[in-house]
Amino acid sequence: MKKILFTLTLLITMIGLIGCTPSDTVPTDDPVVIDTTYALLMDAEDLSGMADKTKTIIRVAGSLGLPTTYRGVTITYSSRNEDIISNSGVVTLPTECWIESRDQQGLSKAEFEGLNDNWPIVLDVVLSYQGQSRTAKLLFVVAPAEGFTCNKYLG
Amino acid sequence: MKKMLSILLILLTGLLTLPALNLKAADTLVYTDSDYARLHAVIQHVDNVLKYGHEYNEDTKLIPDAINTLTGEPARWTFPNRAQVPYADIANQQNFFRTLVALSNVTGSDKYKNEAVDIMGEFMTNYQSPNGLFYWGGHRAINLDTLEVQSTEGPNGPHELKNMMPFYELMMEVDEERTLKFMRQLWTAHFYWSTTDMNRHGSYSTAYDTNVFGQSIPGDVIVMDNDGNPIIPQDSPGLLPFVNSATDLAYAAFALSNHTFDTVPAEWAKYLMRQYNLASNPITGMTVYQFKSTLVSKSPIECSDPAYTNSGCGDRVARQFRDFGVIAREPNVAWKNTQAIYVDNILMLLEAADKYGVSHFADWARDYMEGYLEYAYIRVDGRNKIIPMFIDGTVTYGYVVPEVGYFGPSNMRIDYVDMPTTYLLPILRTILQQDNDADKEKLWSYFRDIVYTFGIGDIGELGGATPNLNIDTSIDDPFALMTMVELYDETKNPAYLEVARTIGNNIVREKFHRGFFVQSEIMLYSRLDQPDTLALLTLDAVLRGIDLDDMPFYLADSGYIHGYLLSDDGVVEDRSYTQNVIYTKTIFDWE
Repeated sequence: MKKILFTLTLLITMIGLIGCTPSDTVPTDDPVVIDTTYALLMDAEDLSGMADKTKTIIRVAGSLGLPTTYRGVTITYSSRNEDIISNSGVVTLPTECWIESRDQQGLSKAEFEGLNDNWPIVLDVVLSYQGQSRTAKLLFVVAPAEGFTCNKYLG
Repeated sequence: MKKMLSILLILLTGLLTLPALNLKAADTLVYTDSDYARLHAVIQHVDNVLKYGHEYNEDTKLIPDAINTLTGEPARWTFPNRAQVPYADIANQQNFFRTLVALSNVTGSDKYKNEAVDIMGEFMTNYQSPNGLFYWGGHRAINLDTLEVQSTEGPNGPHELKNMMPFYELMMEVDEERTLKFMRQLWTAHFYWSTTDMNRHGSYSTAYDTNVFGQSIPGDVIVMDNDGNPIIPQDSPGLLPFVNSATDLAYAAFALSNHTFDTVPAEWAKYLMRQYNLASNPITGMTVYQFKSTLVSKSPIECSDPAYTNSGCGDRVARQFRDFGVIAREPNVAWKNTQAIYVDNILMLLEAADKYGVSHFADWARDYMEGYLEYAYIRVDGRNKIIPMFIDGTVTYGYVVPEVGYFGPSNMRIDYVDMPTTYLLPILRTILQQDNDADKEKLWSYFRDIVYTFGIGDIGELGGATPNLNIDTSIDDPFALMTMVELYDETKNPAYLEVARTIGNNIVREKFHRGFFVQSEIMLYSRLDQPDTLALLTLDAVLRGIDLDDMPFYLADSGYIHGYLLSDDGVVEDRSYTQNVIYTKTIFDWE
């Protein structure tokens, strides 16, 4: 019986000691691992320069120089109007105006000329890094090419 | 010896179960001093509103819509005849009633709920028209001097509710019969059964119809063309089915069915909401503000002036945005009235899905939200914005309006539209009501971006894993607060709760002044319908372990008064909203 008692006491002591390991009672200085991938994907949108040319009217054909990488992030683009901006960010100036504006009676007026010539073009963006991805959008404004036509009234 | 053995065995068992007990203890939230400080601010605000509100006229329990935080006086509507009328519009006080009930829930004291019952009881007993409509809403209020009904829209202002979603649970408790009569008459007065037209204005003269939902439900208004696109009828004689009024109609019908176990009102509500769904764009998923356009009833000569925007001249978007062709119709605009579509209506749909079992509404909410965010949501200069467009995705950004019209003056340029924090809750609640993760992922991705862009940090992956939140966020917004509370409630990830506490502290610091919650320190009036106090109590409830289902639920804070008044110059007669003439006043405007 003494043996049994001794064994049980030993068992309780051991469990007690295991239950009181420092990790449960004392805060450690182990750094909390935070996944910063998402923040990097946001930075890629904000800091890669992809939006640089969204503030001005684009009047010259050619590449927008859209970045395809940023600190390891892969960036791809998909244009909602490939005739004007390709998926690789190359601009082709349109040969006609965006919208022809007329008055309520459907009559052209000199004051409406040039009012709505420039095209708003949206590009959908996918930013990817190590298996994670998110989307973004860019909106560029593109002027038509010299000598463009504007006779497409829809009203 | 046996005794000793028993004691040792008990000790052993105790030690073995200790870890489980510890885990449970860790799950218990600690209520801190700052938690109490927030609750104390809400109590002070409520006590002050009740004190000053009741003090003005002791012959009534009614209290004003807004209180001057310098004097304790009620806000006044100045009529064109210079009469300054202190007013109580109970439709505009719904969040205060919810706050009172919520405060009783968290404090365990009935006195706040009793106040709500007393105020509501006096209103319902004395201010219900014989036809069942209450004297409240956009054009009617109670004059707190005379205790008579006041109209702000001529002598007989109509009944109008737009996204006000009354606190029906409380009203039912106070006076079931009057509440049911109102719910039924809301439809009789606003819905035209024979033509399925709807009028945001309801007449106080329309007779009460005891058989209000007695007609058979007709075929759908919206049918599809050969390409599968909805055909929007242009036959509405100026009675446009705006979704903001329809939201209130549907909400009343669902609440009515739920209470009476009569399913017919709910079937009418489903029918009404289905028309908006059918009118949605089949490609983008974006939905509509109305499912009809107006019938042209005015002559071409009358309508030749573009500044004459009477709806009898036909669809006002077709007139002012005619350059875009057939897509330019009022129902198809996705840059104006979007709060009514993507916030207020979505919250009602989700409420119906959750509480009244209309599960397909949660699918519709997802379709609408996904479409809107996929096509129109954009981050510009680190801010959440909407690209202006029609619901088929035709972008209108940069368009310069050639002529004046309903939407604004000539040469007005269409720009990005701000996305306010009010969008957070409908997006989150839509996600939470999806059954499968696959249906949540797309919305979660947008939601994550939107929350981040509001400066709250990274909410992490779907389900609440690995958030990296900005615990020091400076945002002081009630919708952000409720969002974090509901995220915590769903995931039990304490990171959300901690940032909710920060937001709550910010709200108290930035908005609690002179004993009242105000929009900011310099604003003069404390508005009873503000959502801040209800949001703070939602946080408090979670900290106390109260189930959010047992708390009054935020649905809207759209209350307003619209009508004729005297401008600030004291000379010109104007027509405006309380949001423009009362809630813009600062303490510096007060002499």
